[in-house]
Amino acid sequence: MANIQCAGIVKSYGAHPVIEGLNLQIPDHEFVVFLGPSGCGKSTMLRMIAGLEEVTAGRITIGGTDVTHLHPGQRGVAMVFQSYALYPHMTVADNITFGLRRAGVAKAEIDRRLADVARMLGLDPLLDRKPKNMSGGQQQRVAMARAMIKTPKVFLFDEPLSNLDAKLREKLRTEIRKMHNTLQTTTIFVTHDQLEAMTIADRIVLMRAGQIEQQGTPDEIFDRPATRFVADFIGSPSMNFRLGRIENGAAVAGSVRIPLPSGRFSVSDGQEVELGLRPSRMGLVAEGTAGAIRGTVVLVENMGAEGQVIAEVDGAEMSFVTRHFRDLSPGDTASFALAPEHLHIFDRATGRSCLI
Amino acid sequence: MVSLILRNMARAALGLVVLVALTPILWTTLGAFKQLRDIVTPIPKLFFTPTLENFATILGNPTIRDGLVNSVIVVAVAVGIGAALGIPAAHTLARHARRYGDDVQFFVLSLRFMPPVAIAIPFIVIYLDLGIYDSLGGLILVYLVTTISTVIWLAVPAFDRVPREIEEAAAMEGCTEAEVFWRFSLPIAAPSLFGALVFTFVLVWNELLLALTLAAQNATLPVVAASITSLGKEVPWGVINAATVVLVLPPLVFIGLLMGLINTMVRGGGRAKG
Repeated sequence: MANIQCAGIVKSYGAHPVIEGLNLQIPDHEFVVFLGPSGCGKSTMLRMIAGLEEVTAGRITIGGTDVTHLHPGQRGVAMVFQSYALYPHMTVADNITFGLRRAGVAKAEIDRRLADVARMLGLDPLLDRKPKNMSGGQQQRVAMARAMIKTPKVFLFDEPLSNLDAKLREKLRTEIRKMHNTLQTTTIFVTHDQLEAMTIADRIVLMRAGQIEQQGTPDEIFDRPATRFVADFIGSPSMNFRLGRIENGAAVAGSVRIPLPSGRFSVSDGQEVELGLRPSRMGLVAEGTAGAIRGTVVLVENMGAEGQVIAEVDGAEMSFVTRHFRDLSPGDTASFALAPEHLHIFDRATGRSCLI
Repeated sequence: MVSLILRNMARAALGLVVLVALTPILWTTLGAFKQLRDIVTPIPKLFFTPTLENFATILGNPTIRDGLVNSVIVVAVAVGIGAALGIPAAHTLARHARRYGDDVQFFVLSLRFMPPVAIAIPFIVIYLDLGIYDSLGGLILVYLVTTISTVIWLAVPAFDRVPREIEEAAAMEGCTEAEVFWRFSLPIAAPSLFGALVFTFVLVWNELLLALTLAAQNATLPVVAASITSLGKEVPWGVINAATVVLVLPPLVFIGLLMGLINTMVRGGGRAKG
């Protein structure tokens, strides 16, 4: 187990820079998720830590050792790939133990460790099979077993669940998190799925165009997004945005007028801003309540316990989540409101949050 | 019920196709064991007294025996060197020079565009000057152009199909590039590479024109076989049939051996030694 430090990491392909001067500290035992849209450099960053991609400039240290130019096999890291990357010409048992056999670990020790990981991941009945005769979920378990048996200092996961169906994805996600709770091995997990990131991470590193946009706990990222980009990326259904301005201590956008709690935002009167209203922080209110937003219901999406209501306000759609969605149908007029302490305000020019 | 009939009809059609394809080969094999009078009879005979005389003639004939030995040596060395140089080259092209890969592949293929006749005459002159005319070494040298280029051309896609992540996963376990190639890329691509080698083998085993022009005393089997068919009126059909069987057998044996090798290789991949 070890901490990871990335200092001034630059990666470019030819003249085209993908990552520019990235700095990151990951303390021991932490479960960090690299999150971002495709092409943001999160996988490249992971592959550089793994040693599969060369670093153009900068330093990577794992557990105090400078690994920047070390061969992937000497870094003490283990990786799980999106495509599982099992060795098709070997049985499951041979797949899992290949690294140990290669390193010349004693047979008895290998057998003991194989039994351990196989029991942990429920692979006992599969050990003699070839990978191609197994389901995606089973294959990914084998890949995890292959990573675990080496007892690495760091686990790297490169979108390991993206090829699985939704139900299995959820199940394996829980298993990965439980495994981390038991082993406490420093882990980096790359995904583009914000829900996956929110549920599994100790800390999320949200990346955009080769730079860290924001890093923090899932709560911090969700409740205090530093930029409009983060606010838009995190949360489902995604945040409503309205162009507006600050007038007399309230944020105003068309018919929407939300009084600002004092001391929460650093804004000045007349400032051009963008309001962010999270659907999950909104709800139905009685007709005529102060600060209520009135809109015509366009669509009601049933999500089981809750429903997402999409309403037209000032000619644009705005959505909110309510448990009483069954009382609404398209064409109705609805009154709903945002709890003022959950309002987000972003500077229109820089996109940065005006939260203090 | 309908599907059952359809399936049986499909089987019958398939059987017919196989029969049509195999009949000439079977007939040739039968002919190899017939005496001449059983062959030239107006009514084809299915039952006859078999004789090994034709094979005795073939294998007793020093020209044909030498031709067989020459063919085996030339083709084995040419395909062997072609594989030893071509397969690693193809892996490197597929993995490290993908940018140039297509160009190189096209260049390699373009070597095969040229009709062999076009190079045969210049080669005679060059070989005479170099003193390697009518030598097995000279024939091997010219066949290497065919084998190396064909192996590369067919092996690059075979390695392209090996998922890069598998090689990366192996690297993560500490394997060097050579180890990754031997233990992972090669066994995983082996079934496709097998096809490439067989194709290359057949290509040079049946090669006639260059062998005819570049060798005189040290002729290969196709050259010898061709000379038998131009013996004049008294065509020794039985001998020709036996020669055909002898010509066809080595490729079959070679394919069998190669398949066995690949099977052990694929299985052996799991038995990594520490």
